[in-house]
Amino acid sequence: MANFTPYTYFQCPCADSVLPTRNISSDSPSAASGTSDQDERTFDPRAPRSNYSLYPLEHLLYCEDCHQIRCPRCVLDEIVTHYCPNCLFEVPNSIVKSEGTRCTRSCFQCPICIAPLSVSAVEPQPEGHGVADTAHVGQYVLNCAYCLWSSKDIGVYFDKPNAISAQLARIKNGGGQVITPRDRRKDREGRTREASMGPSLDDDGVQEDDGPKLDPNEVLDPEGQFSNLKSFYQSQIAEASPTSALGFTGGDYGYGSPGALSRIMGIYTGGTFADKKVKSKKANFREARDALEGLQIVDLASDADAIKKLQENRWQGTTSLEQRAEQLSEAPFVSDLRPLAYVLRTKRSKRCKTCRHILSKPESKVQTTRFRIRLVALNYIPAITIRPLQPLAPTQRSLLTPRKAVQFLLTFKNPLFENVKVSIATPAHTPGRFKSKVTVLCPQFEVGANTDAWEEALREGGKGAGGEKRRTKAEAHEGQNQAEAGQVWEQGRNWVSVVVEVIPPSIRMDAPDFVKTEEHKNDEGPLREDEDVVEIPAFVRVEWEADAAQDDDTGNLASMREKDGREKRELAYWCVLGLGRIARE
Amino acid sequence: MSRKPAKGEYIETDTGNKVSRRSQIIGTTNIILGGKTVIQAEVIIRGDLLRTSSSVPDGGKQSNPVAVAIGRYCIFSRGCELRPPGKMYKGTFSHYPLKIADHVFIGPGSIIEAALVGSHVSIGANCVIGKFTIIKDYVRILGGTVVPPNIVIPSFSVVAGRPGRVVGEIAEGEVEGFDLRELYRSVGNNT
Repeated sequence: MANFTPYTYFQCPCADSVLPTRNISSDSPSAASGTSDQDERTFDPRAPRSNYSLYPLEHLLYCEDCHQIRCPRCVLDEIVTHYCPNCLFEVPNSIVKSEGTRCTRSCFQCPICIAPLSVSAVEPQPEGHGVADTAHVGQYVLNCAYCLWSSKDIGVYFDKPNAISAQLARIKNGGGQVITPRDRRKDREGRTREASMGPSLDDDGVQEDDGPKLDPNEVLDPEGQFSNLKSFYQSQIAEASPTSALGFTGGDYGYGSPGALSRIMGIYTGGTFADKKVKSKKANFREARDALEGLQIVDLASDADAIKKLQENRWQGTTSLEQRAEQLSEAPFVSDLRPLAYVLRTKRSKRCKTCRHILSKPESKVQTTRFRIRLVALNYIPAITIRPLQPLAPTQRSLLTPRKAVQFLLTFKNPLFENVKVSIATPAHTPGRFKSKVTVLCPQFEVGANTDAWEEALREGGKGAGGEKRRTKAEAHEGQNQAEAGQVWEQGRNWVSVVVEVIPPSIRMDAPDFVKTEEHKNDEGPLREDEDVVEIPAFVRVEWEADAAQDDDTGNLASMREKDGREKRELAYWCVLGLGRIARE
Repeated sequence: MSRKPAKGEYIETDTGNKVSRRSQIIGTTNIILGGKTVIQAEVIIRGDLLRTSSSVPDGGKQSNPVAVAIGRYCIFSRGCELRPPGKMYKGTFSHYPLKIADHVFIGPGSIIEAALVGSHVSIGANCVIGKFTIIKDYVRILGGTVVPPNIVIPSFSVVAGRPGRVVGEIAEGEVEGFDLRELYRSVGNNT
């Protein structure tokens, strides 16, 4: 609260561009007048919509083809690589498609506190344990070093310290074995073969060994139930229509193939061929009968169990909302939690939405941090930094005193290699209920060109005249601390400081009527969040001459030869200058 | 950042390190400074926490074992502490070296027990970086974060919370902001 750091946010012009509206009546006059209104009106940083268009300069990109600022809202992201944030292994696209966007190696997060889990060996079991117990128990567990949770708590042990993901998929909480989808499929195939060929075949015995025999009354986990249900209905479809209406054999409609999709669409658009066939095929499905077919009967005893568990373990035994949200299946109790596989992270390149040119492209390798292309707004538009003109004593509070003029220095730093003309325009009063009076003492000035890093380094070595000169110039004024109107306050090689004077208003709610603004009279509500911050909307227009040719090497020569090779560029945008908080009286 | 220190507070070494007279550096022979590093007052660097099983024959001559290795342009603010992480391994307790790359800023009062801190990392005030943490390049850890042990923080992450988790990404334009050369120049006796 006491510490307020001034900030500058830039408005991305994409907020202005009117989106294609869903309004069908295109000739409505209100749309046209609405846009012109927007042009006239000054930008209100506190309007609810502004929230989504204001960004710090660092977050903005710049499209060299559109000559426009681009914000995260008006770029397209393209995934370059998937990688696990824990083991930093690149995951190929094919694996992402088949296995999903989680790490399939040994990277897990604690289900309690999301800290990473590490594999560690269980200490040697003390003597006297039952043989049956130790035989079942593996040697490794997952441990959380932050909250000391362990997979011991849910009764999960591992046989080997690697490929935890594959092992965990086969272990239920409490140590039981999960019937994998593969086993289920095998079992189903066995059953269908039995049903079709009869049980008296001699390979019957072999089938028994194939996998665990499935219990028709087993309690299924959600994935198991889904896979059972899916296969059941697929077989139903297959049975109902040996060659289905769409000309496919078997239960699979093949929604994935575009040909099939277009045929399915044909059904809805009244294709001639589909009509009679669909009518002729009146499927009579039966419903699932037992667990093998995906039927789960709600067991009232399980509710009673849950209540009993709740009574025993109390509040501590239940999971929090955040913990549940992270889990793949429902987990009301701590004992139901599973370790969370790390979600993969991506490296993304960014494209301009309007011209599709790439604005930023990282190297595809996970370990490198370089960019192949990186067009950031920081290199194209002047950065604005704010500091108070009178430096504050460390003990002094940084709040602004109401009705007392304060002066701030706005420093514009030019990143371009050309001289830049800058003009700033601010409304005389800031919008909102509490209006600050704003005066920019020097609204138009020119900022010198940026130079190479080399030149800067050389200057650094000389520790030279430039730095000294600027200091003395400022010091000359410092005696009176009085800024002159129309004069630049300080100036450097590629930066200029100008003074802006602000008279903050009183933010008393019980002020007499005659000092209140119109808006305040209309809205007497209590002080809203951050309403006591002085935020100045400023319209910045930047003008410079650039080489018409894009490439710099040849462009430089061309511009020497003829002046016609250069073109005028301008860029104009709204900024918000957050200066400080007003003290309460 | 902090107020200007009194004259003569810093000892400047040949390689441009600025070390406060009021810092506590223990086991100096086991600490490598890459140069141009600022160590402010009340910073503690535990170079004495060495690997215990140092009797590993490396074939050649035995040089000084390294407990803390620090790159160039690092800034350690007042009251932060660097200690090499330690753990039990095969029945014996041992410390492992702490490596810090270039352009690393560590805020006041933070405790670092990481295994590796990459380049261009900014750690806020009063953070705890857990044991054997690996922090890659271009990472910002906000103030008051408790980074859990053994975590790997990938590049371009913003980390916050207790326990620390990745809460955001570093935007493309923020990359330059991690350069600490300017800040290094601003610290010293004669400014």
